[in-house]
Amino acid sequence: MNKILRWLVLAIIVITALAPILPQFVWSFSHRWLFPSLLPSQWSTEPWEYVFTATSRVGEGFFNSLAIAVVVSLLSILVGLPASRALALHNFRGKSAIEWLLMVPIIVPGIVATMGIHQVFIRLGLTDTFIGVCLVHLIPCIPYMVLVMSSVFANYGTELEDTARTLGAGTFSVWRFVTLPGILPGLLVATMFTFLISWGQYITTVLIGGGTIITLPMVLFPFISGTNYPNAAAISLVFVAPAILVLIFTSRQLGRESSVMGGFGRL
Amino acid sequence: MRWLSLMEKLRAPLMILPAVATIILLFFGGLLVGLGQSLGYFPAIDSYDLTLQYYAEVLSDNIFFESLWQTFRLALLSTVMSSVLAIALALVLRQTFKGSRFFTFMFQLSIPIPHLVAAAGIVLLVSQSGILARGAYALGLIDAPRDFPVMVFDRPGTAIQLTYLWKEVPFIGVVVLAVLQGIGPQYEEVARTLGANSWQRFRFVLLPLIMPGVLSTSIIVFAYVFASYEIPLLLGVRHPTTLPVLAFQNYQDPDLSLRPQAMAMSIILTLIAIVLLVAYKRLANYAVSR
Amino acid sequence: MFSFRRMALILMVLSMVVLGSAVAQDSADELLGPVPGYETWADVLAAAQGTTVNWHMWGGSDKINSDVDNDIGARVQELYGITLNRVPLVDTADVVNKILDESAAGVETGTVDLIWINGENFRTLKDAELLFGPWAEAIPNARYVDWSDPALAFDFGTPVEGYESPWGHAQFVMEFNTDLVGEEPPKTFEALAEWAAANPGLFTYPAIPDFTGSVFVRHVFFWAAGGPESFLGEFDQAVFDQYAPIVWDYLNGLEPNLWRAGETYPEASVLTDLLANQEVAFNMGYGPGNAASNIREGIYPESVRTFVFDTGTISNNNFVTIPYNAPNPAGAMIVANFMLGEEFQLKMTDPAAWGWLSPIPPSVYSEEFQTTVAAYERHPATLSADDLAAAALPEPPAAWVTAMEQGWIENVLQK
Repeated sequence: MNKILRWLVLAIIVITALAPILPQFVWSFSHRWLFPSLLPSQWSTEPWEYVFTATSRVGEGFFNSLAIAVVVSLLSILVGLPASRALALHNFRGKSAIEWLLMVPIIVPGIVATMGIHQVFIRLGLTDTFIGVCLVHLIPCIPYMVLVMSSVFANYGTELEDTARTLGAGTFSVWRFVTLPGILPGLLVATMFTFLISWGQYITTVLIGGGTIITLPMVLFPFISGTNYPNAAAISLVFVAPAILVLIFTSRQLGRESSVMGGFGRL
Repeated sequence: MRWLSLMEKLRAPLMILPAVATIILLFFGGLLVGLGQSLGYFPAIDSYDLTLQYYAEVLSDNIFFESLWQTFRLALLSTVMSSVLAIALALVLRQTFKGSRFFTFMFQLSIPIPHLVAAAGIVLLVSQSGILARGAYALGLIDAPRDFPVMVFDRPGTAIQLTYLWKEVPFIGVVVLAVLQGIGPQYEEVARTLGANSWQRFRFVLLPLIMPGVLSTSIIVFAYVFASYEIPLLLGVRHPTTLPVLAFQNYQDPDLSLRPQAMAMSIILTLIAIVLLVAYKRLANYAVSR
Repeated sequence: MFSFRRMALILMVLSMVVLGSAVAQDSADELLGPVPGYETWADVLAAAQGTTVNWHMWGGSDKINSDVDNDIGARVQELYGITLNRVPLVDTADVVNKILDESAAGVETGTVDLIWINGENFRTLKDAELLFGPWAEAIPNARYVDWSDPALAFDFGTPVEGYESPWGHAQFVMEFNTDLVGEEPPKTFEALAEWAAANPGLFTYPAIPDFTGSVFVRHVFFWAAGGPESFLGEFDQAVFDQYAPIVWDYLNGLEPNLWRAGETYPEASVLTDLLANQEVAFNMGYGPGNAASNIREGIYPESVRTFVFDTGTISNNNFVTIPYNAPNPAGAMIVANFMLGEEFQLKMTDPAAWGWLSPIPPSVYSEEFQTTVAAYERHPATLSADDLAAAALPEPPAAWVTAMEQGWIENVLQK
């Protein structure tokens, strides 16, 4: 009985996971697919041909989204990793205040800040620029980086580093051969979060990018709101592919490494 | 020597500085500019005098309250349903069985998928001419699209909530799963030998252990839905819409005099979010500790 | 005479040397009046050679996107060495906002060169003096434009005065599915209400601020007042208050019989999808050729046809404008000029290509143009140009539109 129930639940998990995605494959090859046909009455590769034209700007959007997400992730690591280590391994006055401060952007709705930043960036000449978009994406990314990595550092003993140092390893060697391998699984997950947060941003990019920086969600949005489902589906799949790749790389850490996702319990 | 100890003292603050500076400059800076405009400090339209007029205007408008209620309702329902489902599914998935890795992967599948893509997928599935409606027609359950239940562009926001459920259940679930796998079987074994039934084992052993994770992730989910823009815009009714949509509509209106109102609206939204989340955290901590 | 021709020849050769042979065919073109910053059309051409024009326009139609890229973008590249960068927008108000913000921040050189703009947004930018120009009456192909035509001299009541250039013509038509409605659609507002009462759930119109929903409501105002005349002058609150209650009564009376019982109103694009899937029986829009092209594209069933109300339908023109801080006004003017030229207008009016109407009568173009246009085959879902012209009504000034839209939101949507 219990076993049947479990398999039923598992079947539902698989079906619901795929139900919104698989039909998009069919839609992306359809030309004419009206109610009540269960399959397109006319098939076509037009949506995919459109995706690969310069007109669709899918290619441009893809590479912009990718470049922004990579830069934002690197910046998040650069800024967030030292902070996470300090929060996990050092004690200092005002620490809990700092912890809260760094979490505020994921708890407090960002719309005021985004609109305020927009006003400031116009004056600084940062609107319509790549770096301006990266900076505004960075805001929600830093908290996730700190959340995951401070938990990782908290479960990570520094004894090994000390040992390596007494054995004469330099700062870089310690970092490269001791610290990095120790935190790498967690870092992968944290970077996955920052990458995906940036990858999915819409309204912030529209506002700060001002139409000059075109990203994938901006290419996709008009087709969903315009109910052009064949093109929307094809672009959706392009949009999903790297995200799934990222998950494949991090799935094991996400599922098994309790100290990584456990960080969310410390918020 | 004093130099070194000073360095040692400054070490942690220096490591934290870049992150804190970025958040303060960007997030709190933006917040401050928004706050200023909401109070009427808006040099672009030659307005410098501080006033609460825009808050009064926003608060005297019924539309604001209807949108606020809609925003709150969507966030609350999405959060509660996601949390409950996530816990239930995590309890099933934590057992190790043949193919559990595959199923865990499937469970995680929607985590990396952008919300926009999820929204498109949900529309294609549940609209009145979507895949489910076509299936119902093929089975002879309905005669025309309008016989199929309304889930997209409806006042309750069914499709909006489905989108969030699909996205957020695995997010909360993965955290719960991580905690459950960290626990190991010992606690439950002890409870079992003490004669606790399965509900009691869940309620008094597992739940307190996973609660911090559920609490934090559900706060994130609530805050996310509370601030969401594109999903209600794509899948929701025109009125009442959510506050972020309303605020952005005012912000993007070519009539610049609506800007301070948009800012005031968002500031109120921010305050409400903070109050709700603090209250929630208190309440949940109290409930768990009991 | 002889020496003049020789001079012209020398000039032509010179310009070919300077600008490359592709541009030579236009060397006969000249500016018809003053344009800020440029003495001659050759100056404009020279300034734009090798530049990029950022054209901000609504991006929700892949057909318009590809048509613009192929029939405008590729051609201006070939003819003038201009790269057309089409910037897709979800709402034109976004770019208007951007210009307003840039002006508030004192940004002298922006990023927008050309905007496909509507009357309300044009008024906003013109009133704020944030437009480049005047230029539209001075570009060479403006010679084809009859500026004395009120539909071209005014855009939603705002005097154009050379600050925007027309390129396409639009007229509101109703689309209906003959399978659900029959061959004879309800062509009056009374008949429409009766039809909706007899067939609840099969009619609706887009929610304002969508411009299609807005124009539908304007038609109801025209019907309530017995014609457009009352709304063509300055905005008059007394006149508005006289007719508005009739309009709200009509629309609120219609509401329970609408799609979803009027609980919500769809976006225009969603309404298109609803008609495609037979969830409703009607759609509407500014493109008389849209139904035909949607049938050809496989979006609509074959049974869709169009009609206009017996009391007429509103027509207006598509314009492009250049903001004050455009980095490349020369390139933008060349693109606008190209869009008024014979080559593009022929493509635009071709039912098999764009399928649009033109703001310019064929008679001003060459004989060849006229014979080609006369030979175009009309799709059965498209009304004839004569029928449309006979039913054409003007747009009211933007102030009326704003009042009607706001009134609808307060008295119908949020009621």
